[in-house]
Amino acid sequence: MKKTMIGGALRRSAAALACLAAGALPAAAANEARPLEPGSEYLMVANYPNNLNVVDLASESVYKTCPLPDAFGPGTTQIAPDRRTAYILNNRFGTIYGIDLDTCRLTFRAEMSQGDNERAKSIASFTVSADGKEVYAVQNPTTIHRDHYRVGAPRFAVYDTRAGLEAKPVRVFPAPRQANIMQAGEDGSVYLAGPNLYKVDVNTGAMTVALPIRDWQRSTHAPLDVLYIWPVQTPTRDFTILYTTAKYQDDKQDMATAEYQYGYLNVNLKSGETEAREFGPLTEIYFTGLRSPKDRNIVYGLLHRLTKYDIAQQKLVQAAELDHTYYTVLSNQAGSRLYLTGTFNDISIHDADTLAKVGQVKLPGGDMSLGTGQVFVR
Amino acid sequence: MKHLKAINNKARLLDKAVAEDRVEEVVAMSAIAGCAATVDPGWEVDAFGGVSSLCQPMESDLYGCADPCWWPAQVPDVMNTYPDWNKDATNSREDWRNLGSVFPGDKL
Repeated sequence: MKKTMIGGALRRSAAALACLAAGALPAAAANEARPLEPGSEYLMVANYPNNLNVVDLASESVYKTCPLPDAFGPGTTQIAPDRRTAYILNNRFGTIYGIDLDTCRLTFRAEMSQGDNERAKSIASFTVSADGKEVYAVQNPTTIHRDHYRVGAPRFAVYDTRAGLEAKPVRVFPAPRQANIMQAGEDGSVYLAGPNLYKVDVNTGAMTVALPIRDWQRSTHAPLDVLYIWPVQTPTRDFTILYTTAKYQDDKQDMATAEYQYGYLNVNLKSGETEAREFGPLTEIYFTGLRSPKDRNIVYGLLHRLTKYDIAQQKLVQAAELDHTYYTVLSNQAGSRLYLTGTFNDISIHDADTLAKVGQVKLPGGDMSLGTGQVFVR
Repeated sequence: MKHLKAINNKARLLDKAVAEDRVEEVVAMSAIAGCAATVDPGWEVDAFGGVSSLCQPMESDLYGCADPCWWPAQVPDVMNTYPDWNKDATNSREDWRNLGSVFPGDKL
């Protein structure tokens, strides 16, 4: 008991010191009114305590830092087609904000919760339409009663991006449970990852299976395992999700002798073309993967190492050791540079061919944590 | 479900529901993340049963687990219950000493 109290006192003292330190060195906003320059390539990423940073990729330096309202988390971003408006899911998965990157001004705000006693969260499940007119989100509501909670049915909510700071859904449709990240196709549909990868008609709410995940029944392979909460808007317009599986040796389907493999689910948002295939043996874990903008036969993987696979040969061809774990791999439009983001507050820059580290950008403030950054040309 | 074996009453009920084609009636958790007691390997042990594939260093994965309430038994849930747990440690690599344990009595 005494030990606990001493521990508690120490914790309080440490917290007090930290408050002083935070007061002395605020992770402040910078260059808020500095507009982005047309033609320049930027990387935007959010971090603790609650900032949205814009990094200029030519100079590999922080261009500006916008302070964000409310609370941080998860910091998942999407860039609008105007390349000026950033949407971010934040406030502990509870609110979607629109930020004018030129001025850091808040232009859009949509609460996921729709009632006083409702608590709704979006698990990184939102995006902006290809024409920039609508924002989509899957919301998972729980009604908070005095003596119990009631889990509600998930809903696919559609917002008008001109709705301002008190946006309400203009259309609402039922959504599958366990719905996760989504991306907008150029034909106006939305691709939503959940039990399967669904193609959503945003006007009727009708959902069809674009690629099966849970329902992909193959006698040669074990069911897929997917953990993917990073909706990266790629230069090639590929919406890519990694999966793991195991290939059986024969029709006995013996897991003890099965060969574990990595694969990807891929929707090209420009053409609507879908593809699902294995690209190499499962020897380490990746949180994100990326199709090379330069070579369709190359896919990168990232978590503890940055790796490169030859898809046709299903072979790991290169790997780079990292300073620490990173979650999300991004690429510039040319496909020559890779940017490793997430976890701590540094972006590691790598040559896309050799995977060698060629630079680093340290962000003001703290961890990027789970948030998804985006690369875009203004 | 072919490779999973039910070992407690809740899991047996789920098996029963599958057998009776009543899965839709089972109120599953609303999302895979969000304060469910996730049993994925990844925190104490990696997906291969070892430790070499855990996040390096462990602080790099701390807020990625706390923010979505992924492992509420191992890392406090900042999504709902302990939103201020890391307010004095926004940079986990440098400020981790400011992080303390949480107890039900500390609920806000």
